[in-house]
Parts: sequence; C-alpha cells; structure tokens
Amino acid sequence: MLTLIVFLPLVGAAVCALLPKNNLQWPRWVAAAFSAVDLALVVWLALHFVPGGGRQFAESFAWVPSAQINYSMSVDGLSLPLLFLSALLTFLAVIASWKIDKKPAFYFSMMLLLQVGMNGVFLAMDFVLFYVFWELVLVPMYFLIAQWGGPRREYAAMKFFLYTLFGSVFMLVGIVTLFLNTGTFDMVVLTTRWSTLLPAGLQWWLFLLFFLGFAVKVPIWPLHTWLPDAHVEAPTAASALLAGVLLKMGVYGFLRVSLPMLPNAFHQWQWFLAVLAMISIVYGAAVAFAQTDIKKLVAYSSVSHMGFAMLGIASGTAIGIGGAMAVSFSHGLIAGMLFLMVGQVYDRAHTREISQLSGLAGQMPMIAGLLAFASIASMGLPGLSGFIGEFMSLLGAWQSPDLAHWIVFAASMGVLLGAAYMLWMMQRVVLGQPSYIIADCPDASLREVLVVAPLVVMIVAIGLDWDLLLRYADPFARLLAKTLGA
Amino acid sequence: MAGYSILIPEFLLVVGALLALFAELLPGGDRGAAWLGAILTLAAALVAVLPATANAQPFGGLIVLDGPARFARVVVLLLGAAWMLWTAGRGEGRVREAVSLAMFSLVGCMLMAEARELITLLVSVELATIPAYVLIGYRRGDTKSLEAAIKYFLMSILTTLVMLYGFSFVYGLSGSTRYDSIDLTRAGALGVVAVMLALVGMFAKLTAAPFHYWAPDAYAGSSPWTVAFVSTVPKVAGAVAMVRFVSAVSASAATTGIVLAVVAGVSMLLGNLAALTQTDMRRLMAYSGVAHSGYLLIGVAALSRLGFVAAVAYSMAYAFPSMAIMLIAAEEGPQLSDFNGLAQRRPATAWGLVLLLLSLVGVPPMIGFFGKLNLLLAGQRAGLITLVVIAVVMSVVSAGYYMRIVRAMFFAEAPSSARGQKPSFVAAFAFAMCVAITLVAGLAAGSVYGSIGAFLH
Repeated sequence: MLTLIVFLPLVGAAVCALLPKNNLQWPRWVAAAFSAVDLALVVWLALHFVPGGGRQFAESFAWVPSAQINYSMSVDGLSLPLLFLSALLTFLAVIASWKIDKKPAFYFSMMLLLQVGMNGVFLAMDFVLFYVFWELVLVPMYFLIAQWGGPRREYAAMKFFLYTLFGSVFMLVGIVTLFLNTGTFDMVVLTTRWSTLLPAGLQWWLFLLFFLGFAVKVPIWPLHTWLPDAHVEAPTAASALLAGVLLKMGVYGFLRVSLPMLPNAFHQWQWFLAVLAMISIVYGAAVAFAQTDIKKLVAYSSVSHMGFAMLGIASGTAIGIGGAMAVSFSHGLIAGMLFLMVGQVYDRAHTREISQLSGLAGQMPMIAGLLAFASIASMGLPGLSGFIGEFMSLLGAWQSPDLAHWIVFAASMGVLLGAAYMLWMMQRVVLGQPSYIIADCPDASLREVLVVAPLVVMIVAIGLDWDLLLRYADPFARLLAKTLGA
Repeated sequence: MAGYSILIPEFLLVVGALLALFAELLPGGDRGAAWLGAILTLAAALVAVLPATANAQPFGGLIVLDGPARFARVVVLLLGAAWMLWTAGRGEGRVREAVSLAMFSLVGCMLMAEARELITLLVSVELATIPAYVLIGYRRGDTKSLEAAIKYFLMSILTTLVMLYGFSFVYGLSGSTRYDSIDLTRAGALGVVAVMLALVGMFAKLTAAPFHYWAPDAYAGSSPWTVAFVSTVPKVAGAVAMVRFVSAVSASAATTGIVLAVVAGVSMLLGNLAALTQTDMRRLMAYSGVAHSGYLLIGVAALSRLGFVAAVAYSMAYAFPSMAIMLIAAEEGPQLSDFNGLAQRRPATAWGLVLLLLSLVGVPPMIGFFGKLNLLLAGQRAGLITLVVIAVVMSVVSAGYYMRIVRAMFFAEAPSSARGQKPSFVAAFAFAMCVAITLVAGLAAGSVYGSIGAFLH
C-alpha cells in the first residue's frame, strides 16, 4: 500500500514525460488523475490508520543485503499528516497549474516526480532509502524553478540545489557514522534500541551533522538565505509545494532522527536550537516587514513561522513537540494558500510590488477575501489552524525546564510582529482605491476558488476542532517526550 | 592447457584486433571492423561473466581470476563494446586501426587487473597504454592532436620508468616479483621508497594529483571520441592493479596509507576546484577524472577489504558516465557551449545525461551514490575523517560544474547552426547502454558489490 502511494506518481510522471511535447490537454489531465488517485489512497490510509497505534502498514524487504540496506516503509502519527499534506498540495498544485502552456508534459512530470520524493521521505524507515528520497526531491524542484521561474530563476535554482545538497551530504556523513557505530541503517531499530547506547560525545557530533542537513531545509537562520530567492523565483505551484511540504522535511528530520535517536545530544543542543529558533522568528518577521514584494514577504514569513516549529522542538516537551507538528501541518495549508493567492494576483496584475497594488477588494472581491483570509490565518488568529501550533509551541517552551523564559518572551514578540506585517500588507493591498494596474482584471474563476477551497475548509475545521490533527500528533509527541525524559 | 580456457575473452579480442586490420576484406569496410570488434567484445563479456572461471590461478599464479579481476574484466569489456558500437554506428573515416588498437588496449587492461606479479603487471600496463598513445594522436593531420600524443607519450613513458624503478627495488628487497612472496617487512626505509616509486607511476596512470597535470592538455588536444576511451577504460584496470599492489605490500602500510590519503585529498580538492572554471568538455572531464581518482583513493587509503572493494566498484561509477558524456561530446562538439539547447534537440539524450551527471555528483539511486557511500564508510571506519569531509564538501562543489552542463542543455539558447548531426540508432544504443548500466548497477548495488567479493592479492 505504501509502495503504491509512493510510486504511483512515478508512473504518472513517466506517462506525462512520454506524452507529446506541446500537447496542452493530456499532461494536465494525466497529472490530475494520478495525483487525485494518490490523494484518495492517502485518505483511505488515514481512515484505516489507528491513531496512537504506533507504526502501521509496514513493508520491508532486503535491498542490498551485503550492507544491511533494506527497503522498508511504515507510517505513524508523525508521517501521516505530512503525507496527507504532500498528497493534497500536489493535487492542488496540479490544478493551480492548469494554465501552464510552456512544455506542459515536462512540467507535470516534474511535479509528479517531486511527489514521489516527498511521499517517500515521510514513509522511508531505512536511512539509505530515506536519503534516496531526500535527494530525489532536489532534482524536480531544480527544474521547476529553473524552467518556469521568474527572471532570476537559474541563479535561484542553482542556489537552492547547492545549499540543500550541502546540507544533505553532511547528513550522509552522519548516516555513515551512525551505521559504523551501530551496524544498522534501520531507523526503527536505531530509535528503539540504540538511542541510549551511543556515547554522548559521538551523539554530539552526529547531532551536528544531522542538524546541518535538516536546518538548511527548515530553514533556520542563518542557513535560510536560499529560501527567499527560491520562493520568489519559483512558479506559483512550486512555491506552494516548497513552502507547504519541502520545509516540513526539515522539521520531520528533527523529529524522526535527531531527537529520538540522539536524545542525550539533544539536551546539549537544546539551548542553542531555542536561540536560533527565536532569532528565526524575530528576524523573519522583521525582514518581512521591510519587503516591498508580496511574495518575498510571504517567503520571510515562512522563516518566521518555521521558527515556531523549531521552538516547539527545542522545548523537548510533549506539548511543544505536538505544537511543532501542528505548526508544520497548518503552515503547509496556510503558506500553500498564501502562495496560491499571491500567484492569482500576479497572474492578473503582473506585478507583486505592494506599492503598486491597492484596492483588490474593490476590483476582485473574491481574491481579496481569500487573500485576507489566508493572511488572517497566518497571523495565528484563534479559531483558525495557525493558532494551535504557535500557542502550543510557546506554551511548551515556557513549560520546558531547560529553556530560559526570556527566549520564549522574545519569540512571542514574533506573533505580534507577524500580525503587524500581515495587517499592514492587507491594508495596502486589499483596501484603498483600486490601482490602475488591476483596472480590468477579472475576479477569481471557479477553478481558482476551488483550488483553495479545501485549504479554507481544513484551516477552519482544524482551528475549531484541534483534535482532528492532534489525535495523530499527540501520541507521537508524548512518546518522543518520554524518550527525551522531559 | 586448462589454464588457457579461462583466457577465452582475451583470445577473442586478440583475434578481433588482428581481423580488424584487414577491414577491406570485411563486409562494410571500416564500419564492418568496428561491428566485428563490438560483437567480439560483447561475446567476450558474456564469456567473462560465466562463473566457471572463479578464482582460477593459471600460469603458476601469475594471473588470477578472483572477484575484482572478473569484475574489472566485465566492466572494461562493456566499456569497450559501448565505444566500438558507437564507432560502428558513427561509421565514418578510417577507424580500423583505432578499433584494433582499442582491442589490444582492452586485453592489456584485462591482464592488468588480473596480474599478481610485477613483470606481468608491467607488460600489461604497456599493452594497455601504448595503443592509447596512438589513439590520442590518431588524427594525423591535426598538429594539436600530435602535440597531445607526444605529451601523453613522454609523460607515460616517464611514469612507467619510475614505476619500473620501484619494482626493481621491490624485487631486490624481497627476491621475488610475485605478490604472494613479496615481503618488505624487514626492508625498512628502502622498502618505503620502493613502494612510493611504484605508486607514483600508478598515480600518474590514474591521473591523481599532483601527477595529473599532463591529462587536461593531452585530452584537450585530441578528439572527444579518443578521450572517451583513454580516460575511462585504463582507469578501471588501474584501480584494480593499484589495490592489488597496495594490499600485497601492506607491510609498509603506515607510510603508504598516509601518502595515499594525501594524494586522495589533493586530487579531490584540485580536481574539483579546477573543473569549476573549465569551458572545454575535455578539460572539464579531465579534471573531474582527477577528482574521481581522489574519491577512489579514499578506499585504497583505508587499507581495508571494505575500502578495496569500494575503490574497485567506484571505478565503474566513474567510467560509464564519463564514457557516455565524452561520446555525446564527440557528437555535439567538445565545448561546453556545444551542449547548449541539447534538451530541445535531443530530449532523451539530455535526460540520460542528467542521470549520468547526477550519478557523478553522488545522487541516489544511481551507482555513483552507492560508490560514494561505500567509500565514505570505508574512510570513516579507517578514521580518515578529514578525507571524508573533503569528499562530501567537494561533492557539492562538483555539483556546481556538473549542473553547469545541465544548465547548458536545458536553459541555454541553442546555437543557430547546431553542429550535431542526427546520431544513428546504434550510437544512441551505445549511449543508452552506459545510462542503463549506471542506473541498474545502482538499483542492484547489492549484487555489484557481492560480485567483487574477496581478494587474492
């Protein structure tokens, strides 16, 4: 079942790639069909998943027996929400890209290939397999940015590729070192048996190696510089996937590898992580304030929001970890939606300069309303999904006996800043006299509304009923907190 | 006579090499010669994978057919077959001598990987490299090509002599040229000198820094078609020969290990950094070859069975992509800018190249990833942390120049008059063969490493 979920999009990608190069219709229908079926499979999986029941649907066979490399996959409370996010956002991204007319076959096959990597990362339970999928993500994203991106696309794509490759090769050294000291690549065995046996000094080094791999992806200040470039230059749908899913791979890595496998080192690093998280939150928000490009503003807001996830992780408490997972999931929905809305605005106005846009509400009320909704959700308003994660992360960090309260206090300033820059942006873009640039622009089409509708529904639903998300996340968070001894 | 039967692949090639010279008597002329060579080489590869020859030691043990030898034999035969198939598909000019020379060189390479005795090794090294001199200078009318050939010839002769000088000391100190009776334990400093001299020769054959400087010039002077052969096939055999020699003289292990580690580190740094700025594909791949020799030497420097196996396997991860890339350069033109817009003209080829380049970077699931993974494992286990860190950082640097090729293919404007003509089906098949091997060897990495197995040094 899991194998099918991971590799079904690969079949789709192959089919797309073989379609005639300049056919507009076929590739998008094929991509939509494959991603829809994949989403349906994930939903089926979620319905048959027993929350709190540990790892399920496990599959395993020997791949390279001489080196104890296995092909093994399973799903648990940490992977399931992220897997769902990956399937949902890919499907929506395909629909959002309906109007792509430059090499559509190539575009949609890259999109589906990206999904193979993303699904695989969240399901792989063997380090080598994990690394395979981790690297697989780079290639389609490189092409998506470099082929369909903005004016500086080649530079941004290269920067994205090299930065994340830089992080992941250190992760590879970490994997190798871990293997040499334990004799296994099996992530389950490493979590359950080896976490307490590794000597503390070695754990410290391993934590550093994995930190480099994951922190680039999250991204944590000061390793975030690839993100604004990549987000701004990427085409709309790729931005949504980049912010919605790829960043979560970093958080996932911390929760899957760094914390459960290296708990002793985590306590040595905890403080450092918390300070970096705080800086990311405040720095991201402060820089977002200064942006004149609305897409860049959203990009920096991602740095800030992912900082909350890192703060929750750094707390080491069940609430904080649950919060980190909630932030990840909800930011996936909200940032995905923000990028899609910004893309819709850009499609019409052909500019993203905040100073040139104004009065969207007068000219295209639907788009303005949805953009405002996403912005408000991003602020963390109670009743919407963004609130839960940030609240829990801050609460967990406050409760954590290991973190100074001033860090949490400073981080919570980020919430205020976040509300401020979003409101300011809305005031300038949504309200006011319609600018001449958008004078004749039509409002959102039905397709464009339907693309974000599922996101709106989920943001509201999770905001009202936290348990929808937390019943998956909570058991995992408690278990992890117990391992960490908090 | 039993000994001769396991040399059937070698005999097949010698027959082919002699027949190819009489191309005018063959159907199809020069093209027929290339076809004959390709078919005989493929047949030889088929014979070579037969398990019947496992661990045989014919001729009183002068040569051995153990795991690494059998592996190298199949790899060089497949590389040679791909090269000759491409030549046959291309079907232009007078190639009969080239085919013949390549087949002789292949025989030398196979024997080089099998040799476990110094004189046998020396003779097979000569048999492998002398045809290469001629191949480099194959275009007689081209003065640059001749200059390259002279450079290559002089450097090669010099390093062979240095190696021979080292061999003479080894013989003098241990009274034997056979690996199983070489004993340098009581030789002291002189033993170290002897091993160093021999190693210098081998470093030069592998184009490891700082003995690499002749390679970029020599390659840049000759045609990409030649470079495809000369820069890949002998290196596979050289890797096995080096591993065999190092494990035979492991008595002076400490110093040998340090020297190997230093050369590995310098090669990775110099090769990758120098490749960054190249605009000529031949020079770029020459420096990339230096870098990959560096990675490979991590495994040798680890001085462990794990490391030796990893080094031998890595030669394959380097050779197939490099061969395929140079063959495309032979079709499209030797400059990086000749690759501009290749994705427009030949999308399948461009995607194949992406796969090969990613394999060279070390991106899974191609063989390049498993090659590097095993080298890192071996290096880490031997405590060569510095080398491991250099290797991973330099992998990122290497992505910088390999991705430049990808960028040229996908995002650069095609020149108005693209030089490449439509390649024939057979030439495309040779390229596809390299791509398929790179991918399948990665997915089946378990059997690749299993087949190399144990060493009889």
